[in-house]
Amino acid sequence: MIDDHHEELASLYALGLLEGAELASFEQELAQDPALARLVSELRESTAQLAFTAPAAAPSPALRARLLDELDTAAKWRAQGNVIAFRTPIWLPWAAAAGFAIACAWLGQLYVTSRFEAANLRDQQTLAEFKLKSANNQMEAERLVATHQLGAATEQLAALDRQLKAEGDLAKLKIATLASLAGNSPQALAVAVWSPLRQEGVLNVEKLPALAADKDYQLWLVDPQYPIPVDGGVFTVDPATGDAHITFKANRPINSVAKFAVSLERKGGVPKAEGPMVLLSQ
Amino acid sequence: MKPAGNTAEMAATIERARFDAELFRRMGRSDREAFAQLYDRFSRPLFATALRILSNTAEAEDIVQDVFLALWEKATTFEPARGSAFAWAVTLTRNRAIDRVRMRKRRSELLAETTAEDAGTQPAGAGLQAGDELASKEQAGAVRAAVAALPLEQQKAVELAFFGGFTQQEIAEKLQEPLGTVKARIRRGLLKLRDTLGGRHD
Repeated sequence: MIDDHHEELASLYALGLLEGAELASFEQELAQDPALARLVSELRESTAQLAFTAPAAAPSPALRARLLDELDTAAKWRAQGNVIAFRTPIWLPWAAAAGFAIACAWLGQLYVTSRFEAANLRDQQTLAEFKLKSANNQMEAERLVATHQLGAATEQLAALDRQLKAEGDLAKLKIATLASLAGNSPQALAVAVWSPLRQEGVLNVEKLPALAADKDYQLWLVDPQYPIPVDGGVFTVDPATGDAHITFKANRPINSVAKFAVSLERKGGVPKAEGPMVLLSQ
Repeated sequence: MKPAGNTAEMAATIERARFDAELFRRMGRSDREAFAQLYDRFSRPLFATALRILSNTAEAEDIVQDVFLALWEKATTFEPARGSAFAWAVTLTRNRAIDRVRMRKRRSELLAETTAEDAGTQPAGAGLQAGDELASKEQAGAVRAAVAALPLEQQKAVELAFFGGFTQQEIAEKLQEPLGTVKARIRRGLLKLRDTLGGRHD
C-alpha cells in the first residue's frame, strides 16, 4: 500500500519536479520498492499522454526528408568505415618506445629549463623589490625636503606680507605738529602721529605749562564727518619739564584726521571741549 | 469517441505499445522504414508538445529532429518493460524543450503566447498516413476528454507542471496557492488521469 505522501512524490517525480536531496532520497526508495516503481511507470505513461492536449500541429514535411537523409548519410559513412582494415605495423612498438624516450628527454630538458627560468625570475623579483624600496625612500626624502622648503617659503611670504602692510600703513600715517595758541604757552610744541589702519596714534609734547591738581590736558581729533572734535583722551605732563609721551585712541571711529588740538580741561576730561585751546595743528 | 479506460481502449493502447516496441526492435537493426513509420506515428504529438513549450516553430523542429536521431541511435537500449516507447519519446522531447526554455529565460513570456496560431506550423496531420492520423486523433480526443474531466484547479496545476517547466515553488507562486495544495492537486490530477486513460497495469 502506497501512502499519500509517496503518491505525491511519485507524481512530482513523473513530471520531473523533484530536485536535490528530495530527488535523491526518492530514487533510493524507488530502487527498493517495486510497487512504487510500478506507480511511477503508470504515472509516466499518463503524463506522456498530456502531449495530446497541446494544440494540434505538425512539423514541416521537409523535416521528415531531412531526417531520412541524415540516416542515409550516416549509413554510408558506417559502410565506408567498415571496409577499411587496419593492421598493426611490426615497427609500431619500436616507434612507440622511441617516441616515449624522446618525450622523456624533452620533458627532462623542459624541467631543467623551467627551474633555471624560475630562479631567474626570483632574482628579477628580488631586484625589482629592492629598486622599489629605494624609489620609496628617495620619494620620502624628497617629500621631507619639499615640506621644509614649503614652510620656509610660507614664512617668507608672511614676512613680506607684514612688511607690505607696514609700508602701506606708513604711507597712510597722518603726522602733524601742534603749535601754541594765543601765547598762553609760547614754547610748547607737540607732534602727533595717527595710523588710520590701527586707529591709534602717538603724541609727543614738550614744554607745556604744569597742570593744576584739578586739571588735565585733553587731546581732540578733528574729523570732517563729525560736527564736533572727537575725544582723544586726557594726559598730564611732567611738572618739571612740561613733557609727555602718550599713545592715544579716539573714542569714535576716525575716517581722516584734519587737525589735532589740545585743550585744558577739568580733571578726567569732558565730552565736548570747554576749556581754553592750548595747542593746534596746522 | 468514448472516454479511454474501457476495455476496447485499453486493448488499443496495449496494441499501440506493442507495435511501437516492434518498430524500435527493427530500428535497432538499422531498419530505415521502421524509423519512417515511427516518425509518422510520433512526430505530430512530439512537435505539438515542443511547440507548446517553446512557442517557436523552428526551435520545436530542432528539438524533434534531435529527439528522433536520439531514438534512432538508442533504439537498441529500449526496454518495453520499463515503459512505452511513446512515453520515452515524450519525456526526451519535453526535457529538451524545457532545457532550451530555461536557457533562454523567457518561459513566462513564451507560455503566454498561443501556439496554435503560429504562422509556420503545418496543418495537423500533414505528412501522416490516413490510419495513423485517425488513431492519433482518437487518442488525442480521449486524452483531452480525460483532462477536461479534471477539476479546473487540477487541470491548471498539471498543465503548468507539464508544459511550463516550472519548479514546484514557481507553480505555487503562479497559482497563488500554498505549495502543499499545489502538490496535492498534481497528485490527484495525475492519479485520476491514470485511472481514466488506463495506465494502470493491474
